Amino acid sequence: MKKIAILLACATALALPFTATAQDAEGTTKKDAYRFVVVPKVVHPWFDKVNEGAQAAAAAIKAQTGSDVEVIYSAPQAADVVQQNQIIDSALATQPDGLALDLLDPSGNRASLEEAQNQKIPLVIFDSVPPEGMAIPYIGSDFCEQAKIAARRLVEVLGGEGEVAIMQGVPTAPNHSIRAECHRQVFAEHPGIKVVAEGIDNDSIETAQQQAAAIMQANPNLKGWVASDAAGPIGIGQAIVEAGKQGKVTLVGLDNLPEMLDMIRDGVADSSSASQPELQGYWSVMLLWAQATGAKVPGYLDTGNAFLTKENVGG
Amino acid sequence: MQTKPLALLTRSPLAGVFVALAVIFTLSALISPYFLTPYNLSVIARGLAFVGLITIAQSMLMVLGELDLSLGVIGGLCGVISGILMVRLGVEPYSAMLLAVLLGATLGLVNGLLVTMLRLHSLVLTIGTAGIFGGANLVLTRGVAITGIPKDVQYLGRGDVLGMPVPFVIMLAALAVATFVMLKTPFGRYMYAIGNNQAGARMLGIKVDKVRLLVFVVAGAIAALAGVLMVARLGTAQPSIGETWVLAPIAASVIGGVATTGGVGSPIGAIFGAGIIAIIENIIVLFGVSPYWQGIVSGAIVVLAISFDAISRRYLRRDA
Repeated sequence: MKKIAILLACATALALPFTATAQDAEGTTKKDAYRFVVVPKVVHPWFDKVNEGAQAAAAAIKAQTGSDVEVIYSAPQAADVVQQNQIIDSALATQPDGLALDLLDPSGNRASLEEAQNQKIPLVIFDSVPPEGMAIPYIGSDFCEQAKIAARRLVEVLGGEGEVAIMQGVPTAPNHSIRAECHRQVFAEHPGIKVVAEGIDNDSIETAQQQAAAIMQANPNLKGWVASDAAGPIGIGQAIVEAGKQGKVTLVGLDNLPEMLDMIRDGVADSSSASQPELQGYWSVMLLWAQATGAKVPGYLDTGNAFLTKENVGG
Repeated sequence: MQTKPLALLTRSPLAGVFVALAVIFTLSALISPYFLTPYNLSVIARGLAFVGLITIAQSMLMVLGELDLSLGVIGGLCGVISGILMVRLGVEPYSAMLLAVLLGATLGLVNGLLVTMLRLHSLVLTIGTAGIFGGANLVLTRGVAITGIPKDVQYLGRGDVLGMPVPFVIMLAALAVATFVMLKTPFGRYMYAIGNNQAGARMLGIKVDKVRLLVFVVAGAIAALAGVLMVARLGTAQPSIGETWVLAPIAASVIGGVATTGGVGSPIGAIFGAGIIAIIENIIVLFGVSPYWQGIVSGAIVVLAISFDAISRRYLRRDA
């Protein structure tokens, strides 16, 4: 009897660390299937790249864990916060395992995000920042640094002198407004650079083209452009070509849409400061999955920026 | 031999759209396990409330034979102005909302005066005034939302009463009043008379321009109400409010049996039409339809709904 008691005590002592590990470990909850919803700002090629990254992450998780991972991409047809909230609310009704969002306006999206938190649905915000006071993991590049890279490049190409213009994207979108503000900060550091106009394109190539054409008409001495969203530089580039100002007006673009890369190759744009949407989609799904398993995730994940020129965009 | 309720249904001009709505509702409930959850139904109701208010306003104008393309923009501008009043100017929040609704009525009055006094076509005129009101919105906000809407008024957009979202209850109240006025009062009969034959209505001694003017004013006020409620819902005054409230209310009214030529239809039918659109928007997300296919899917369902409406009306009439 004494021997049995000693054996039991030894077994218990040996098992203790394992028991403790199993209880403390995070990321141990595994499901056979996960369903994540990705809601971007609007139907847009930049977000298609986000979706590609998200689908790649789903495939990677399935390959590594055997769990089925479905990523549903649900985009508003217009960059309208009311429509986006309607999509978020409807998506919440399907009780997904996680929701990744690019916020059109943090304060305008707050009610829907609070509802998601009430329902304990894991959230990730990409390409944007969470509403003030809400603890939601977010992913993105340093928007300010991305803009500063572009603005500094324009100052360098212009030799520190000349009239320039800034194209804002959606003024209420935090990433766009941060970029516009950081463009201004860089230009303010150079007394020879004068910001003569700012346009608002609402993330539309057509609007950007119209705005840029009008601004160049009104400011014949304009020497350079920077933009705050992915659609902006494409519209500006079209306006530059239509106005016959290629080589006379320098465009430093933003992001890496195919049209942007073509403009760099064709010499319409000097270069582009690009965020990496595929990585934002990929890590959005990874962080949602990690949260769904119960693992802790970082509060912020930086996917970095790339500086694209004729030399490195390839043929 | 038909039972009484069925006989009632077959006589009603709303039968077709009601059956179409019921079919879409039932199919959605059968296909998606999430559709009938209380949360999802409240999502649909809340979304329907705002477009529903504009739909009531638009259907009233359409019965008169008018179309107002500035209603959504009036909603957005009045929403923004309510935000400016309560946040920047420190006006008591409920007073600010009331002032914004009065402003909406005034903008409706401007539309009505230009239509009746200058004999302008309302569709063409309101393209212009929509530009002016939308431009004023941008001038006031520079495209940036007004934040800091007081928490106590947010109840009007986010809260529930009797288990239903507050904006939805307000929309139902507006619908009840509009329906009563249009179907049970002389004023409503004048509206139908004007929509059927304006010249004839004048000959009957109806003060045609006064009726038209008043409906424009009411429509402006209802649009503004939708705007301020949306501000309460979002907790911010977004310059983009109302941008998507232009075509959907017209489509909803037509689906609901309101003729664009005037004199036919009612706000109830229009709300059924808006209900169909709201359910389509919801199930597209529930089913995870690709955003690139959403236009085709929602368009096809609308075409099916209208066709179903037309066919069922024909059959129901024949059976009756």
